[in-house]
Amino acid sequence: MTDRRTFIAGLLATGLVPTLTWADAGSPAFVSAARRADGSFGLCGLSTTGQIVFECALPGRGHAAACHPIQPEVVAFARRPGTFAVVVNCVYRRESARLTAPDGRHFYGHGVFSGDGTLLYTTENDYDAARGMVGIWDVSRGYARMGEVPSGGVGPHDIRLMPDGQTLVVANGGIETHPDTGRTKLNLHAMRSNLSYLDALGQVADQLDLGELYRRHSIRHLAVGSDGRVAFAMQWQGDSAARPPVLGLHHRGGQSGLFDAGAQSRAEMRGYAGSVAIAPVGHAIAVTSPRGGVCQIFGKGAFQEHRLPDVCGVAGLNEGFMMTAGTGRVLYRDRDGMGWDVQHACAWDNHLISLPAI
Amino acid sequence: MLRRLAALLVLGVVPASAETSDISAILDGHVMPGYQTLAAQAEGLASAAQEDCRPDAPGLRTAYHAAFDAWVGVSHLRFGPSETEDRAFALAFWPDSRGATPRAVRDLIVQSDPVADTLAGFQTVSIAARGFYALEFMLFDPAFVQAGEGAYRCGLVQVMSADIAANAQAILTGWEGGYADLMRQAGANETFRDRNEAIRQIFTALSTGLEFTAQTRLGRPMGTFERPRPMRAEARRSGRSLRHVMLSLLATRDLTALLSDGDPDLDAAFARALDLAERMDDPVFAGVSTPQGRFEVEALQSAIDDIRRKVAQDLGPRLGIAAGFNALDGD
Repeated sequence: MTDRRTFIAGLLATGLVPTLTWADAGSPAFVSAARRADGSFGLCGLSTTGQIVFECALPGRGHAAACHPIQPEVVAFARRPGTFAVVVNCVYRRESARLTAPDGRHFYGHGVFSGDGTLLYTTENDYDAARGMVGIWDVSRGYARMGEVPSGGVGPHDIRLMPDGQTLVVANGGIETHPDTGRTKLNLHAMRSNLSYLDALGQVADQLDLGELYRRHSIRHLAVGSDGRVAFAMQWQGDSAARPPVLGLHHRGGQSGLFDAGAQSRAEMRGYAGSVAIAPVGHAIAVTSPRGGVCQIFGKGAFQEHRLPDVCGVAGLNEGFMMTAGTGRVLYRDRDGMGWDVQHACAWDNHLISLPAI
Repeated sequence: MLRRLAALLVLGVVPASAETSDISAILDGHVMPGYQTLAAQAEGLASAAQEDCRPDAPGLRTAYHAAFDAWVGVSHLRFGPSETEDRAFALAFWPDSRGATPRAVRDLIVQSDPVADTLAGFQTVSIAARGFYALEFMLFDPAFVQAGEGAYRCGLVQVMSADIAANAQAILTGWEGGYADLMRQAGANETFRDRNEAIRQIFTALSTGLEFTAQTRLGRPMGTFERPRPMRAEARRSGRSLRHVMLSLLATRDLTALLSDGDPDLDAAFARALDLAERMDDPVFAGVSTPQGRFEVEALQSAIDDIRRKVAQDLGPRLGIAAGFNALDGD
């Protein structure tokens, strides 16, 4: 492979710096963190056929990642409560920068770039105040910390950019934790989750609260459709014998509701959704449950259920979905439930992240 | 054993889990006695408060300790009736990282709020003002035992105790009035669609209980090396912090024995942790600020983490609960 990479290295030496693109990184469609066969941890780029197109070592177990919209660069977050995130150059397959959470903050494992790629937003915990924050980082200055704004709730987890390219939508899970006590949930008796929309000034412009009945339902993961609808996946913190719906859809200024395909299919999810995705074509919504070992797909008038042990990652592809599991399996299923399976010698971590272009 | 084997051969099936824990034995030998004791001791607390509501009345204090002990003995069994109507939270609002309990109790006293005049009224107040931890302020905190009006304080102690008794009874009624049968008859109902779901629920309660003791009961006062937080120890005002760790270890040890068919290796891990706890001369973990004291609490925490590891890696798979890379990690 001589290639543009070698060629570019030559150019770099001459001081003529071309702009690297995602094509230089093998044109991945998705990225995911993984535990590799030798026990080490890494970040992988995946093609639309489930093949690994690049791989890069990570210093520890990853969680989610944020893909830069233009440069072949991914910010890989440690699993919560992590205090660092690694910026991976996907062409040279190495760490190019590192983000360290400021004093009194830790990351929650998710982040997203602004539409033009100049800023990175990260969900963080101001743990002594039990307040969710969104950290703001300046990409062009080597990911220097620029500032922060409150996330509009406690325990923010996933964060996404709305199609207007400005508004952020944050899943405030509602659960208070403190690094002194690991992942112990400190406020279940008082928890309250919400979905918050932050405008360009960082103000909460809109908020969805699920009400008293679902007070113990933690909104944690998000997918945003090109039409601005926000699919949200939840994790139930109430009585474990209750099996509430775990997938909802919110349309700002319009209707919202929860998806319920009956008691049997609710029970399959075990009150715990791991990831959610919207198909770019047709806008079906997929939600995974690693505890139930199942991925459920809600399409227009159609419901599908795919069994896959330890499935968690899911991303939309055409009219269907690609799914990744802790067993190393990668699956694609189209709107008719047809597709392919690929087995890798690694354990795929929680999230399969689409590149912005896909 | 022979008879069971024969039955399996006749049916031609192999059980999904290598070990077949007896759900009825766990209910009859652990869960039901635990909640029966709690209901009885809580009733005793309510009577003692009626008889003599003074914070230092020996009868009241003895009854308080006995009822609180009984609660800690079931505090890992957080599912079903204990979660209905937030009963367990109304019994035990802790950790209270924002100081909601002292604030809510103080508000009641300062305003002599008549809402606490009746049990029905009191059951509408913030759950932070209810239960064992709120009552602890009334009985043991110098700032509270003299606050406001004496008669109001007396009534508050009595209504708090009556509320604890009513709540404990409601949980027991929930178990006896149907929930235990749902577990016994797992497979014949939607709550537990098969036996494995009932076992998984009990296993989750065990691991969560151990995690709570290691990370919260010990982790909160430990804080960090640079910043230990001894004032965050659970029930330190009544001198019960270490006692809670020991009681919860005893209770989870009992449940582990029933789940594991008396596994000696697991039991030895509990014995090691309990031995460390018994040798500690620090009932409220005040020593976390000193190197030696901190070392002791850390050693106890490691011993409990060792139990947790064994439970997750040895007991879980034997019960047919396989650890998944994602499924058991949370997000």
